[in-house]
Amino acid sequence: MNHDTEVLEVFEARAQRRAERRDFLKAFAMTAVAGGGLAMATRIPRADAQATLTDGDVLNFALNLEYLEAQFYSYAATGVGLTPDLLTGTGRPGVALGGRQVAFSDPAVAAYANEIAADEKAHVAFLRNAIGATAVAQPQIDVSVSPTSAFSNAARAAGLIGAGASFDPYASDENFLLGAFIFEDVGVTAYKGASPLITNKVFLEAAAGILAVEAYHAALVRTTLDVKGVAMPALIDATEAISNARDSLDGSTDLDQGIRAIGNASNIAPLDANGLAFSRSAGQVLNIVYLNKAAVTAGGFFPNGVNGTIVTSAAN
Amino acid sequence: MNHDIVLEVLGACDKRREERRAFMKNAGLAVAGATVLAACSNNDGFGSVVTPTPSPTPSPTPAPTSSDQDVLNFALNLEYLEAQFYSFAANGTSIPISLLSGTGTPGAPSGGRQVTFTDPAVGRYAREIAGDEQAHVAFLRSVLGSFAVAQPALDLSADVNGAFSTAARAAGLIGAGQAFDPYANDQNFLLAAFIFEDVGVTAYKGASPLITNKTYLEAAAGILAAEAYHAGLIRTTLYRKGLAMPSLIDATEAISNARDSLDGSSDLDQGVRNIGNASNIVPTDSNGIAYSRSAGQVQNIAYLNKAAVDRGGFFPTGVNGAIKLSAASA
Repeated sequence: MNHDTEVLEVFEARAQRRAERRDFLKAFAMTAVAGGGLAMATRIPRADAQATLTDGDVLNFALNLEYLEAQFYSYAATGVGLTPDLLTGTGRPGVALGGRQVAFSDPAVAAYANEIAADEKAHVAFLRNAIGATAVAQPQIDVSVSPTSAFSNAARAAGLIGAGASFDPYASDENFLLGAFIFEDVGVTAYKGASPLITNKVFLEAAAGILAVEAYHAALVRTTLDVKGVAMPALIDATEAISNARDSLDGSTDLDQGIRAIGNASNIAPLDANGLAFSRSAGQVLNIVYLNKAAVTAGGFFPNGVNGTIVTSAAN
Repeated sequence: MNHDIVLEVLGACDKRREERRAFMKNAGLAVAGATVLAACSNNDGFGSVVTPTPSPTPSPTPAPTSSDQDVLNFALNLEYLEAQFYSFAANGTSIPISLLSGTGTPGAPSGGRQVTFTDPAVGRYAREIAGDEQAHVAFLRSVLGSFAVAQPALDLSADVNGAFSTAARAAGLIGAGQAFDPYANDQNFLLAAFIFEDVGVTAYKGASPLITNKTYLEAAAGILAAEAYHAGLIRTTLYRKGLAMPSLIDATEAISNARDSLDGSSDLDQGVRNIGNASNIVPTDSNGIAYSRSAGQVQNIAYLNKAAVDRGGFFPTGVNGAIKLSAASA
C-alpha cells in the first residue's frame, strides 16, 4: 500500500538518525549491557494486515495495555485491583495475579502512584465506554513477584537480577519506579504508532489525549529516577539496562533510551534526532509485554495472551 | 463536518472537567491567584459550551481551509518561541540563524539571556529541552520546505512591560510596575517554562484531528509526546521543589488560572497542587485525558488577550502564516 510504503520510508530515515543519537549515547556511557544482545533482523516489522483493522480493534488493543497498567498501579498504590465492573467484555476473561501495595518511604512517590493509578483506571473506563459492547474483557495478567514472573523475567533480561532471583516491584520506592519504567515509555510509543491507524477523528483526538498523559507519566517516572539517581547511580544504570532489554525484543531499530545524561543535557524525554518520540507497531509492543522477540500470542505479562483481534507479536 | 463531532465531544468533556476542577477548587486554593480566580468565576458561564474554532476570519491573506501546511506553520511559530526561550536560558544565544528564514514578516527575539542555574539538574533539563525544541523547529521547517514561515518578532524580555511580566502580573505573581525575570534564578526559569509547556500539549492535541496526511499526523503525535514529556519534567520539578517552597505550588495554580481566564469559559488547565492524596503532575479531565485547545485559544494565551486580535504578548507583531487570530473568548 502506498501509505505503508511512505510511512516505512519515513521510519527508515528516522531509524538512521536515531541510531546516530543512540551510538553517541552508547559510546558515552554504556557498561552493563543486557543479556540477549540486539536482534539482527533487517526488516522493520510494521504490522500484519493493518488495512483490515477497525478503530475498535486498535482501541481494544490499547485497552489490554491499560488493564495491565491500571492493575499494576492500582495494586501498588492501594493494595486492591480494579473493580469487577471494569473488567468484563468479549474474549477470555482473566485475573490480575500477584500485585500488592507498596509501603512507600517517600510521600511524593506515594502521591505519584496514587495519581497515575487514578489516571490509568480512568483510561480503562474511558476506552470501555468508547468501544461499547465489543470492549474486550481483562485477560489474565501477571504482576507477581515470583522468580519466574514477568517482572522477574524482564529484570533478568535487563541483567538487574541473576538466575533464580526475583524482582519485586512492590518492595521499595526504587523498585516501584523501575517497575513503572518498564511500562511507561512503551505506552507512549504504542499510542504514537497507532495514531495513523485511527480513522475516526473523535477517537483520534482522544487517543492523542491518552498519548499525552502517558508521556506525562513517563516523564514523572523518569524525572524521579533522575533525581534519585544522583545519590544512587545504579538507578540510572538500571534504566539503560531495561531500555536495552526492550530494544533487544522489538527488532533492530533502536526505539528506546534510558535516562543517562547525554553530554551536559539530561535525557528525560526519549526522542529521535528530530525531537520526536518513537513509534512502535502493535506487534512490537506485544514483543515487549510478551517478553518474546518471536511471533507468539501469549507470554510475559499476559500469560494467556491479550483479547481482541491484534494478538500476535512481531517476528524479530 | 467532522469538526462538529469534535465540538460535541469537547462540550461533553468540559462538563467533566468542571466537575474535577470544582473539586480542586474546594480542595485547596487559597492565596496566590485569589483575584484571578474570582475573575474566572465571573467569566465561567457554566453550561455554555464555548470552543472557539480557528475559523477563517477577515484577513489580508485568505485561508479558505486550514491545510496541513497552515497547521504545521502555526505550530512552527510556537516552536520558535519555545526554542528561543530555552536556547537563551540554557546557552545565552539564539538558535542558528539558518533556522529562522521563511515566508511572512521576519522578526528577532528580544530580551532573552542565560540563566545562572543553582541546581545542576535544572541546568541539564534546560539544555535537554533547548535541544529538543530546536530540533522541532528544524524538523517542521524541513517538512514545510519553501512554505515554512519565518520567525516572527518574539518578546522574551524581563521588562516591566514585557510579555513574561504581563503574564506574571495577570497571575498575581507580581504587582503593578514590577517585573518578572524568567532568567533570574532556577525557580523563575521553571515557572516561565510552566507558562508555555502545557499549552504546547493542548495545542498539538487540538490540532491532531485537523491534520489529514498520516505521516504528518504521526510526526505531530511525536512532537505532542515530546511536549508532554517536557511538561511532565517541569511540573515534577516544580512539585518536588514546592515541597520545601510551597509558594511555587501556589504560583502554578495562579498561572493556570490566568491562562484559563484568557482562553474561554471551559477549564482547560491545572496547576500541580495535590488533589486529595494524589499529586497532580498530569493535567487531565475526569477521563484521564489531556485537554485540547483550538489554535485561537492557544493564541489567546500567546497574545495574552482574550479578545480576537492578531498580535500581542509573546508575539508583538503577531505570528506568521494563515492562522493568526486569537479566539473571541471574552
